[in-house]
Amino acid sequence: MRTYTKELYTRKDGGQLPQLVSTENENMQSRYVVQKILELREQGIPLEEMAVLFRSSFHSFDLEIELTRANLPFRKYGGYKFIETAHVKDVIAYLRVLENPRDVVSWNRILLLIDGVGPRTAEKVVDDILKKRVGLATEFKEAVTATTKFWMDYGNYPDNIRSLFTMLKQVAAPSVPPAEKAFHVMQYYEPILRARYDDHLKRRKDLETFQNITERYKTVDELLTDLALEPPTESVADIEAPGPEREFLTLSTIHSAKGLEWSVVFVIYALEGRFPAMRAAASDAEMEEERRLMYVACTRAKQHLIITYPMNVYDRESGLILTKPSRFIEGIGENLLEPWVVET
Amino acid sequence: MKKFTLKPLPGDHLHLVQPHHLRIDYRKELNDAQYEAATSVNGPHLIIAGAGTGKTRTIVYRVAYLVELGVKPDAVLLLTFTRKAAQEMLRKASMLLDSRCEQVSGGTFHSFANSVLRRHAGLLGYEANYTILDQTDAEDVVNLLRTRLKLDTRERRFPRKETLFDIFSRAVNTLVPVPEILAADYPQYLEQLTDIRMLQEIYVRYKREHNLMDYDDLLLNLARLLKEHEPVRLTLSDRYKYLMVDEYQDTNRMQSEIVRQLAMKYRNVMVVGDDAQCIYSFRGSTIENILSFGDQFPDCRVIKLEENFRSTQPILNLANEILRRGTLPAPPEGEAG
Repeated sequence: MRTYTKELYTRKDGGQLPQLVSTENENMQSRYVVQKILELREQGIPLEEMAVLFRSSFHSFDLEIELTRANLPFRKYGGYKFIETAHVKDVIAYLRVLENPRDVVSWNRILLLIDGVGPRTAEKVVDDILKKRVGLATEFKEAVTATTKFWMDYGNYPDNIRSLFTMLKQVAAPSVPPAEKAFHVMQYYEPILRARYDDHLKRRKDLETFQNITERYKTVDELLTDLALEPPTESVADIEAPGPEREFLTLSTIHSAKGLEWSVVFVIYALEGRFPAMRAAASDAEMEEERRLMYVACTRAKQHLIITYPMNVYDRESGLILTKPSRFIEGIGENLLEPWVVET
Repeated sequence: MKKFTLKPLPGDHLHLVQPHHLRIDYRKELNDAQYEAATSVNGPHLIIAGAGTGKTRTIVYRVAYLVELGVKPDAVLLLTFTRKAAQEMLRKASMLLDSRCEQVSGGTFHSFANSVLRRHAGLLGYEANYTILDQTDAEDVVNLLRTRLKLDTRERRFPRKETLFDIFSRAVNTLVPVPEILAADYPQYLEQLTDIRMLQEIYVRYKREHNLMDYDDLLLNLARLLKEHEPVRLTLSDRYKYLMVDEYQDTNRMQSEIVRQLAMKYRNVMVVGDDAQCIYSFRGSTIENILSFGDQFPDCRVIKLEENFRSTQPILNLANEILRRGTLPAPPEGEAG
C-alpha cells in the first residue's frame, strides 16, 4: 500500500508543544482532564472551545462521571452517554431495587428482562412486592437487607423469578461492598446480555468499565447518586434557552469529530490495547486506519493538544494489564511531544 | 425523422470570458496551491487537501471560477457527502460571484443516483415509481422475511433484523464475504450461515419483485446503469461536463465506479480529499479509491494543499511525525514530493 506524503505547515509563529500526560490509572486520567479543563476555563478559554476525543465511546465513561461531579456540562457525540445505554441501565436497575425496593420502574425493567416474563406477570409481581414485601420490611426508608421479611416466601414465584430473588438476596446486605454487588449482578445478567444483544461482545466492555467504577465506591448509595446526577435529557427548549449557563464542553469519538476544530483538544486513552484497539493488531490495513484516526484527532487542535493515557488498566477480555502508551506516539522525541506525569 | 448532430468543437463551451476580465481576484484570495487547484479547468485532477488547509474554500472558488469562465452552471456536478455540505458550498460560491452558482448541480451520490434512476429505472427492470427504503424500512423488510421463513421460531437463536441488515449492507459495501463478517463481529451466528445467506438472497429478490431500493441499491443500480447502457452514460456525460467530488477518501467502490463512468468521456473530473483522513473503512469506504485515482487517470494532475490555517506549528510537527512513522513507505508513481 502506498500513500501521498504531505507536510503540513503554517505561517503563524509560536505555540506550545503538545503534551503527553501519563496517569497512574483511569480515574486519575479523568480527574486530570477535569482539573485541566477548569484551569484553562479560568484562563479565559470557553468550554465551547474545548473537546475531549477518544477512540471508542466507552473510553469516556469514567470521565463523564467526573465531569458531572465537577458540574461541567458536556455534550457527547458518536455513541451514547454511559448511563443512557440500555445494558448499563439494566445493571443499574438491579442495584436500584436493592437501595429502594419501592422503585417500580427498576423492578419492571429487571422483571421484563427475564425470559418468559411479560408485562402482565411483571405487573403482578411488582404489585406483590409493593403490597406485601415492602410493607413488611421493618423500616420504611432503610435499604433491603438479607434478613428482613422482604425475602419471605419468594419460593412461591416461578423458577425464573425466583433465581432473580435469590441473586438479589445474596448481595442485599449493606456490608457487601458495591463492587461485589455489581459482580454478582453481572454474573446473573451475563446470559441476558448475550440473549438480548447481538453485539454483546462490544457491550461487555461497557460493563467492565462499570465494574471498575464501582470499585471506587464504599456504598451503593454514593454510586447511584453520582450516576443519577447526570442531567436529564435536554429538551429542545433547554438547548435554545439563552444565558451564560449554556456553555458546554464537547466529548466526541474521533470519527464524529472529523472536519471540526477546537482551541483545546484532549485525546484520552492513548493506550496501547485501547488505541489502537486490540483487534486492529490482526491486520496492517486496520492498524494504519487507527494511525490515521490518531492523525485526525491531533489535527483538530488549534492551540493546545494534550494526549493522555492511564498506565494501569486491566483488560478483562485478554487478561492483560495495559501499561504502554499508544504505539503511534511512543518514543516520539521530547522536542515534539512533552512528557508529563500526574502526581497526587 | 432522421437527425444529424453536429460535433461540438473542442473548447466550445469554454473561455468565453478572457481570464483578465475575471471579477474575482483569485490570485489574491488564495495561496499558490489553492489557486492552482481552483483555476484548473480541463482534465483529471486529484487535490490532496491536508487537514485545515482550506479545502472547502478551494472548492467554492473553483465553482465560481468555472462559472465565471462561462461554463454553464448546470454542466457542473458537485458530489458531496451530505446535502448540507453541497448547499453550503454553492451558497458561498453564489455570494462570491453571483446567483448563477446556485444553478450548479450539487448533492450526495445517493440523491444524484435517485434523480438519474427515476428517469431510467425501466432499463434495469424497475418501475419509475420505485420506493426508497431507508435503513429502518429495510430492516423491517428483513424482519418480515425472517418471520415468513420461520427463522424466528427455530431452536437456535437467529440474528435480529438490525444485525442481519448490517451484515447484508456491509457485504455489499465492503465486498467482505458474509462468513468473514460473521467471524469478526457475530461469531455466535456462524453456524447459521446457510440460513443467513438464504435470507440475503430472498431479500434481494423481494426488493426487486416489489419495486424497492435500499440506499445501497441506489448506488449499485446507478453504477450498473452507467456500465450497461452506454447511451445513458453518454447523455449524462454530455450534460455534466465538469465533475467534482468532495471527501473522495471516504467513497466506496460503487461511488468510485460511478465517478469513473461519468468522467470517461470528457475526463474533466476533480476529486478532493485526504488519504491521511480515511477513517471509515468499516462503512465500506476504501482508501484504495484515492490512492488509485492516478491509475484510473494516468494523466491526472496532483495538487497538494499543505498550508494549514488551523493549528500551531508544534501541533502540526507532531501530526506530521505520527504519519511519517507509518508503515507505508513508497509514494505513488508520478508523485513529486
